[in-house]
Amino acid sequence: MSVSPTPRTRRPLSDRNITLLFIMPTMVILVLMNVYPLFYSLYLSFTDYSVISAEPPKWIGLENYTTILSDQRFWSHFAVTGRFAFLSVGLQMLVGFGLALLIREKFRGSGLVTTLILVPMMLSPVVVGVFWRLMFNPSYGIFNYLLGFTDINTAPEWLGQPVLALWAIVIVDVWMWSPFVMLLSLAGLSAIPNYLYEAAAIDRAGAWFQFRRITLPQVMPLLLIAVLFRTIEALKQFDLVMGITGGGPGDATEMVSVRLYREAFQGQFDTGLSSALAYIVLIVIVAISNLYIRQLNKVREG
Amino acid sequence: MATIELRGVEKRFGDQYAVKPMDLTIESGEFVVLLGPSGCGKTTTLRMISGLEAVTGGAITFDGRDVTWSHPSDRDIAFVCQFFALYSHLTCHDNIAFPLQARGESRGEVKRQVAEVAELLQIGHLLNVRPGALSGGDQQRVALARALVRRPAAFLMDEPLGALDADFRETMRAEIKRLHLEQKATTVYVTHDQIEAMAMGDKIVVMSAAEVQQVGSPADVYYDPANLFVARFIGSPGMNLLSGRYEQGVFRFGTDQSYTVPADVKPALERAIGQGELILGFRPEAVNVQPSGPIASKVYASDLHGGYAMLHLDIGGETVVHARAGRGQRYAMDSEVRFDLDPEQVRFFHPATEEAIRKEQVS
Repeated sequence: MSVSPTPRTRRPLSDRNITLLFIMPTMVILVLMNVYPLFYSLYLSFTDYSVISAEPPKWIGLENYTTILSDQRFWSHFAVTGRFAFLSVGLQMLVGFGLALLIREKFRGSGLVTTLILVPMMLSPVVVGVFWRLMFNPSYGIFNYLLGFTDINTAPEWLGQPVLALWAIVIVDVWMWSPFVMLLSLAGLSAIPNYLYEAAAIDRAGAWFQFRRITLPQVMPLLLIAVLFRTIEALKQFDLVMGITGGGPGDATEMVSVRLYREAFQGQFDTGLSSALAYIVLIVIVAISNLYIRQLNKVREG
Repeated sequence: MATIELRGVEKRFGDQYAVKPMDLTIESGEFVVLLGPSGCGKTTTLRMISGLEAVTGGAITFDGRDVTWSHPSDRDIAFVCQFFALYSHLTCHDNIAFPLQARGESRGEVKRQVAEVAELLQIGHLLNVRPGALSGGDQQRVALARALVRRPAAFLMDEPLGALDADFRETMRAEIKRLHLEQKATTVYVTHDQIEAMAMGDKIVVMSAAEVQQVGSPADVYYDPANLFVARFIGSPGMNLLSGRYEQGVFRFGTDQSYTVPADVKPALERAIGQGELILGFRPEAVNVQPSGPIASKVYASDLHGGYAMLHLDIGGETVVHARAGRGQRYAMDSEVRFDLDPEQVRFFHPATEEAIRKEQVS
């Protein structure tokens, strides 16, 4: 009989335990930073509470929600946000997809042009907002000059009139984010195999017919993703508004998230009410996203 | 149906030829196969006929009309390619209807014609499905239907069966052949599969290294290859080739073996090479195994192919030739076998030019 060496006492970890070990750190962070705040703010939205007061949250049921939903001003913030989202996403899709169609064909320097077009997207929104505010300025801003309005008395006051102010933000948002739509569209366009166009040429399809029956349906999934992303972003629009108009004139460009910021961090620091408002925004965004995603799946499956 | 004519058509990239200047006439209603190994220029030739690729020289005419610089849509052709090129986002019905809708046909007319073609190809039950859900064979049927529905002047097919399973290929090959006979459509068909080419073509254009090697009927290219390339490329296995010397009516090769050249080729041989190096070629079925045969060999291996046996015969330890034999007889490995060649089926090639040396026609 041979003497066996002393067996090592450490038992190997089971697969399950290894799995848990790998997942736990992420889970802990996720719970601490996402899940807990999510549910805590849900709880706060049913309370009367301010972070700067010494009093603990007081349960008041749905009162915060009824306050918001019965206040005419909140509805008008939602209306402004919706109008902004509709205009800016719509224009971004047109401009972005149009740009993508234009620079789809490779030409000398097309790489450089693409990169230059993408620059606005990479800037900080607050910086962009502040700079555009300067450019929109009626007395020394360059925007009116470029449009050909050189007389201060007749030049439009972009940030001074309610309708124009919203358009001003739309213009900046389109300037900044059309490149993103363009990028997604380009990805979609370059994925269309060339043989489809060859087949279409042989099938004697004209340019418009090819665009309508091949290009558009083939990039549609990516276009819808762009719409989804941009709509979510537009509904949360905050930094550009703060930089350009600060919500004015009056509250003509006061979007929901701007108002949310004011409720939460200015004046009375009404944490309970702002939590409720945040939840309403969240529900709206989730609902709209769901509609889009359903549409997207329909396009994908046919 | 159109007669297609290529005159001096070439494709060049810099000073590199993809297709060297070629002349070819495709008669109306003919089934012409462009055959060759990959990279030989056959697909480029087809794409030049279709107009998807521009020529760098020469002229292409359809029924006498010069289409060299016409857009593909002005040539009235249909193109079926290896990867089907179906519109993945459209149903099969809409795929087939595409060329009709592009032409602006009325809704009722489109429906009627699609149904007719679907019936012809037996894909009526697939019309509401998207191509992605179909097998390769069915996808190719849809692609064929889309080509057929237009009733074009010519069909161009680029390895349409290349992406299909072997057994499906047989079926589709028969279907395409049948369609061709029914429609009497001028068809140009590209393939690298010589069996496919032999089975389908009225005329085969063998290409290699950007150049046309031979144009002829399947029987021509099989029995009378124009050069060594065609001799090797056509047939499986290809033609057996023996290198040797020609002296006074006798072909000497291997270790002291000789074969008496059929009398009717002698004048041609003497004119072409006089005396000297020569290559003799013969197909496996030209071999007659008989004890009194002039050529000695040893059985290297033999395998049974169902209806016949293929013998691999070692000649003098230098060359292995392939011979077809009846399946009744068994041949042991390394046993001696003597054989003769059918004089009608013996071919000769010039070793330097690689061209065939053919017997002179009695005029």
